Amino acid sequence: MYDLEFLSPVSSGPLSTPDGGLSLEDASASTKVLVRAARNTAAGAHLKVTYGRSRHRRDGTLICGSRPGEWTLLADPGRGAELVASLPDEGFVSVVDITHGRAMFRLSGADSIGVLAKVCNIDLADDMTPDGAVFSGSVAKVTCDLVRDDRDAGRSYLISCERSFGGYLFAAMADACAEFGINVPAGLSVH
Amino acid sequence: MIVVPCPNCGPRNSSDLRNAGEVVPRPDPQTASLHEWRSYLYLRENPAGWVTETWYCRSGCRRYFTIERNTATNEIRDPGNS
Repeated sequence: MYDLEFLSPVSSGPLSTPDGGLSLEDASASTKVLVRAARNTAAGAHLKVTYGRSRHRRDGTLICGSRPGEWTLLADPGRGAELVASLPDEGFVSVVDITHGRAMFRLSGADSIGVLAKVCNIDLADDMTPDGAVFSGSVAKVTCDLVRDDRDAGRSYLISCERSFGGYLFAAMADACAEFGINVPAGLSVH
Repeated sequence: MIVVPCPNCGPRNSSDLRNAGEVVPRPDPQTASLHEWRSYLYLRENPAGWVTETWYCRSGCRRYFTIERNTATNEIRDPGNS
């Protein structure tokens, strides 16, 4: 099953402003593994992340405490089997590779907070959602999981949703970015 | 806008949640009569005042929780502090 070619719901390549200050790119091919476990299980103790927070593991995996008793592991494409096998499965634990079922985008740059504020009802201030924060909410009226994962000292968000909403959400995000200088291809218009 | 305090996510717009209705004690399935099942499934008090409700945090933690809400004013309080 892990040899399946990944088919992204997004047809567009990365979009960015000429000065590189804002970018929107498809990251749907990233490996996504969902873990549900009680905190007193070996898997719960192994992940060491509380609800609402995330941390980078040395192997590059981003471990997100996405809900109480639930974690999402994000990593480079093609690592699903490896991540699933790496988790202790003693006790009442569920580990599912959801790579093909979720779309994911990365929104980066100083203006990313302005873009997201247009379409998301979460307080994006640093004291509420600092770097590493994991939260869920409505983005362009689609329920999404978000991770603030700053890069190179710049603000950056990973936004994931059900795969079937991916094409629409990418177009809606691109539309929100237009005000900040991103040139939206005609095929992505939501109007 | 109604702001509902989710115990896991904090204050959220009620559009992020779903009102699952009044809390109604579940009858014993071994002994409940048809009338009791009907009451449990369909009949609600719906008072103009304080009511204990279950809400579902559908956009956040996806957990059910209980609050008390005044249906006349939409004031909300913790059931433990009533």
